[in-house]
Amino acid sequence: MSKKSGVALALACGAVLVAVATSSATSAKSSAVPSWCGPKKIKLGFTDGFGGNSWRLVTTNSARDEAKKCPSVTSIDYADGQGNTQKAISDIQGMVAKGVDALVVFPDAGKAILPALRSAYKAGVVTVPYRVTPGGKAGVDYNVFIDTPFAQAGENWGRWIRRVLPKGGNVLMLSGPKGNSQGIEENQGLHKILDPTHKYKFIGEQPFEVTNWDPALTQKVLSAAIAKYRKIDVIVSDFGPSLVGALPEFTKSGRKIPALATSDGNVLGCFWKKVHAQNPTFKLFTVSTQNDHARLAIDWAVALASGGKKPPTTHFPSLVFEDSTTGKPHPVQCRPTLPGDIYLSAKLPATVQAKLVRK
Amino acid sequence: MLRGTDTTPALRDILPAQLRRLLSRGFATVVAATGGLFVLSWAFAPSSLDRGVVLTMLPFAAALAIAALGQTLVVMQGGIDLSVAGGLSLYVVVVTKYPAGDNSRLWPAIGIAFLTAIGAGVVNGWLIGRMRLNPIVATLGTNALLFGAVLWYTAGIPTTTTARLARVGGGLWLGIPAPLYVAVAVTALVTTVVKLTPAGRRFEGVGANEIAARTAGIRVKRHQTSAYVWAQVLYCLAGVMHAGIVNQPTAYEGNNYLLPTVAAVVLGGTSLLGGRGNLVATAVAALFLSQLDQFVLALGVTYATRTLVQAVALAIGVALYTIDWAVIGRRLVAYRPRRVAPT
Repeated sequence: MSKKSGVALALACGAVLVAVATSSATSAKSSAVPSWCGPKKIKLGFTDGFGGNSWRLVTTNSARDEAKKCPSVTSIDYADGQGNTQKAISDIQGMVAKGVDALVVFPDAGKAILPALRSAYKAGVVTVPYRVTPGGKAGVDYNVFIDTPFAQAGENWGRWIRRVLPKGGNVLMLSGPKGNSQGIEENQGLHKILDPTHKYKFIGEQPFEVTNWDPALTQKVLSAAIAKYRKIDVIVSDFGPSLVGALPEFTKSGRKIPALATSDGNVLGCFWKKVHAQNPTFKLFTVSTQNDHARLAIDWAVALASGGKKPPTTHFPSLVFEDSTTGKPHPVQCRPTLPGDIYLSAKLPATVQAKLVRK
Repeated sequence: MLRGTDTTPALRDILPAQLRRLLSRGFATVVAATGGLFVLSWAFAPSSLDRGVVLTMLPFAAALAIAALGQTLVVMQGGIDLSVAGGLSLYVVVVTKYPAGDNSRLWPAIGIAFLTAIGAGVVNGWLIGRMRLNPIVATLGTNALLFGAVLWYTAGIPTTTTARLARVGGGLWLGIPAPLYVAVAVTALVTTVVKLTPAGRRFEGVGANEIAARTAGIRVKRHQTSAYVWAQVLYCLAGVMHAGIVNQPTAYEGNNYLLPTVAAVVLGGTSLLGGRGNLVATAVAALFLSQLDQFVLALGVTYATRTLVQAVALAIGVALYTIDWAVIGRRLVAYRPRRVAPT
């Protein structure tokens, strides 16, 4: 190697090092301020159709936590519709009147909220509904709708069921009120994965047993199902924590708790840890209960209003959280010293959630 | 308001034996209906009589029976208590949120719940007994206040039941659910007090005929007020048990008790116009309603059909007592198009 080329190589190496150093400095800077956070100062509004349960509390605070990452957000306003559609609509109008630049909406009442969303959008507010479809069209009635494919949760449960019960079996599905779209879509996902095998039989009311997500009704429904069906191999439920009071019905009837595919919750994980030794058939699989869905909606709203980089997707995926059979991605989680009503799958730290719930 | 005292005393004076027979027929009816329901369950939905299902149903029936006894006391005074929903919800959240999983704080929590119950009862009693407000309006108002307290205390966020309370609510003593013993004991106690003690007789007397009671020197207002206080105390006991039965109660559990408590009172044969109360029959009616729930669940019909069957059963039960079938029968028989003689 000539001296010249040696110098050139040294210079090149130096240049690469400098480049690497600079880029890492840039990435360090960008991790401090997320890419979706643009330079324009904005006021952010966040409205909930119904805020009165621990899931909503954690979700709302996840949204706040996410918004605080962006220094361009100068204020965050929150309003709880308290399950009253009229209040939810006036909350949205109130936010517009207050002069927010971006508005994230949990449209519990669905299409009833659409006119309010449209008027906010027409008033020039970046409007981002999420989770429950309000109907309408992105770019006409609101900026963008951040959805979650509920069928994906059904597919995740289905794949796990095929793995832990390869010979087939009886599947009992529980969901909330009759005809709720979440339950119907989850059921479709479940059928998509299980039906081609012709080995799994869906028992009980179809598409799902109605529990209204009410623990007392869940208890009655499950005990009736236990008596009616001699063989239940797996229970699928989209609200795991509500089953904790109901699962001991199996023990009362002198039977073992079967496999359970559901969503996570601290109380459920702790229940599993306590009873799985006596119930070897009680395998547990959970998908994340998706408190962080609100974060993606915040990212979008802030990006559009402040001139930041848009997130790559508008879909919040169904993520597998716990699997008692493989321990992947996580073994069953339990924080016995913290309240049962917190969600360990959420990014918001468990201790912060505990403080919120105990407040 | 209508207190039903215009006709009842007259009837009572003229036909005491018949009236007594009518009331005992009320008790017989609900016992027969409950027996019939169990036979139907055995014939058409045998799984609803499985040990596991019965053990699930009985604690709910026990809690309902206790709450319904409270409602009966109010109905006996010619009132109605719609604040059972808010009250019971509040007592459930107090005994779950105040201890927040700590067994040592359970007793203080139960104490606070009972004190709150007495407070709520006094408010109801004062509004209705002293201020002569319409019971529907007054208790609806109190109900809203109590729900306000629930939201203030919990922000609607439920707490998991304390382990010790869950053991009692879901526990078995000698193979029988623990809440059932409580329900039987409370029913026996309330019945004894109302039917066999002088205070209880005065209480029933005020409900049957306010004017006569006042003339006899009985403190009418005090008895009317006490009905609402005792009712809340019984709701509170039902709430404590409910929190134990349901491990993860919501903040609105009391809503599950509003219609069933009134239904149990009516099915038990206590007149909504006040007067004599059929306390044991109310407790049996609570068992009937709970088994009806499990029966339709075990039939495996859809949620819609389930709701319809329950509604029809209730309608029939209520119609048995509230419609005067004898009068209707007489009218039907008496109705003959008369031929008018030509003049």
